[in-house]
Amino acid sequence: MIDDSKPIFLQIAEMIENDIVDGVLAEESQVPSTNEFAAFHRINPATAAKGVNLLVDDGILYKRRGIGMFVATGARDKLVGRRRDEFFVQYVKPLAREARKLGISSGQLAEMLGKEIDTDGAPGPTERVVAL
Amino acid sequence: MSWAVDNRAVKVARMQLINKWTFLGIPAIILTGSFLLSLAVFAVIPVPDAPKYSGAGQAVMWYFFALGIQSLTLTFPFSQGMSVSRRSFFLGTVGLFAVVALVVSGLYVLLGMAEVATKGWGMNGRMFALQWIADSGVGVQFLFYFALMMLLFILGFWFATVYKRWGATGMLVLWLAVGVLLVGLVALVTWQDWWAPVGTWLAAQGPLGITGWSLLFTALLGGGAYLTLRRATP
Amino acid sequence: MSAEIIRVDGLTKHYRGSGDGAPALDGVSFSIEADKIYGLLGRNGAGKTTIMSILTAQGFATAGSVRVFGQNPYENERVLNRICFIRESQKYPDDFNANHAFKAAALFFDNWDQSLAMRLAKDFQLPLKRRIKKLSRGQLSAVGVVIGLASRAELTFFDEPYLGLDAVARQLFYDRLVEDYTEYPRTIVLSSHLIDEVANLLEHVIVIDQGRIIMDDDAESLRGSAVAVAGQAARVEVFTAGRTVIHREGFGALASVTIDGVLSAGERAEAAELGLELAPVSLQQLVVRRTIKGAVDDGSADGAARQGTKQGDTARMEATR
Repeated sequence: MIDDSKPIFLQIAEMIENDIVDGVLAEESQVPSTNEFAAFHRINPATAAKGVNLLVDDGILYKRRGIGMFVATGARDKLVGRRRDEFFVQYVKPLAREARKLGISSGQLAEMLGKEIDTDGAPGPTERVVAL
Repeated sequence: MSWAVDNRAVKVARMQLINKWTFLGIPAIILTGSFLLSLAVFAVIPVPDAPKYSGAGQAVMWYFFALGIQSLTLTFPFSQGMSVSRRSFFLGTVGLFAVVALVVSGLYVLLGMAEVATKGWGMNGRMFALQWIADSGVGVQFLFYFALMMLLFILGFWFATVYKRWGATGMLVLWLAVGVLLVGLVALVTWQDWWAPVGTWLAAQGPLGITGWSLLFTALLGGGAYLTLRRATP
Repeated sequence: MSAEIIRVDGLTKHYRGSGDGAPALDGVSFSIEADKIYGLLGRNGAGKTTIMSILTAQGFATAGSVRVFGQNPYENERVLNRICFIRESQKYPDDFNANHAFKAAALFFDNWDQSLAMRLAKDFQLPLKRRIKKLSRGQLSAVGVVIGLASRAELTFFDEPYLGLDAVARQLFYDRLVEDYTEYPRTIVLSSHLIDEVANLLEHVIVIDQGRIIMDDDAESLRGSAVAVAGQAARVEVFTAGRTVIHREGFGALASVTIDGVLSAGERAEAAELGLELAPVSLQQLVVRRTIKGAVDDGSADGAARQGTKQGDTARMEATR
């Protein structure tokens, strides 16, 4: 699950984010501890802590003294909003580029997308990454 | 500081005793075995008048020579892995052996007394109360045995240290040096025609003198072994 | 943030009898901070064991200075009794079995945890009553691993602890290490040439090659710090022009070039436009490629010859992944 493409703490943060967006981790629910992340992914505990702290600094998670980390209220909306902004750059732009290359018109593209979204239906992505 | 060092030295001694056989069991077996064997031999050869001498008392001393070698070659590298300083290793190991040597020397004196009291175990045998030393009194006997045991142990320890530090080449050089020194001394004495005075001097030393010289030599070797060990690597 | 517990300056080591050959260590300087897991990485014979020997006063430096816990470790019990270093070729008394060795360790290491030692010995299926000299290579390594972990020394060195251990036992070691470290944080220095296996455990990486330090960085800043660009040779050249090239491989019309640095989203898009593939570079690949680059930079015929042998080793190193 951990790969070499980028720092591990970013990957840990992304995994937690994905679980929040997917609803696996509900708001105000407890997040696994740093040590649990470290043991499960066989990574350095300091690295796992760095990933979790990134989300704390971001206001996605918050710390309850002596108990652990929890998902903040409003964390999901915040993440979804941010991802919608990124969606355009990450998915729409390359899609448009490839469509142009293959001579697919914007109308055809819209039709294809409409069909795909309607048949797939379900809101969540089919492939889901579970943080733990 | 010094307490910490001494404490670690005591731990080294305890480490050397983890396997009880090496420092206690095997010497005890050698001692008992050679004693019983000598008694058996005394019983087989019936010569009533002249005392029958047995060299079996030496057996355990030669084991101490081997023990000196072994406690360095194998235990020193291990002690380094246990984060023990060379100083603590030296003090603990030599200290433990000194205690063993004290006990065995005491035992020799006691056995020598028993030997005299029982008229050579009833068979006129001599193993511990060797004539020329038994005449010198308990204190000298005790010191004599102790000095001899320490000398043999330190000799083995020192040879092993030299080997550890300078390898086979160092060993060869050492043996050559010792050989040259001895041959040189003999040549010098012969050339100067000193044999007669040397003989007289040796005879005049007696057990106490020889004990003193052995202890001095042991101390020198011990110092040499320590200085060599200070720069040895496991 | 963390306290520095080791400071090494200009450390040089010539082994006696190595003639006028290259020194085992050549002016090495670095520092180590408390409570982190360090990787001391490099090929066999790079100088890893030599460094650890000198840090623990088991070996001697030819030049340079070493401070451990702020002091010279040589004959210094106050420093030594906070350290555990079981070397890869550790010797044990002839008549010792594993139980004896653990009893000795219990004497000298103040934080020794006997129940942990017994649990680990069971995990590694170590025969406790068999003489150590009759153990297999893997079992011998396991004895060292058990002592290293159960000593809980403030500063613990593991010297290629996996030799002879199978994949399951190695994983067991890594798991127990993370587990115990999490519970009892301390400074761990793990020497290894199986970089991929240990990469994720490390917080900081020191890479040594031919007696010199070639990398000394946080593991996280190294991850993703390089990228491999593959595709048509001409296009790869255009894309990588002006960048720091770490490694270059060619396969006829195709090329794969590893470059230093992180690509922006725009640059990634540009690479996609050119039909180039971007692949992440693992820590091990990064180390291997940097090591090879070092040899190429020598420039001399000698350097080229060395590179030849090195690439053989690289292949072997990568084959072990």
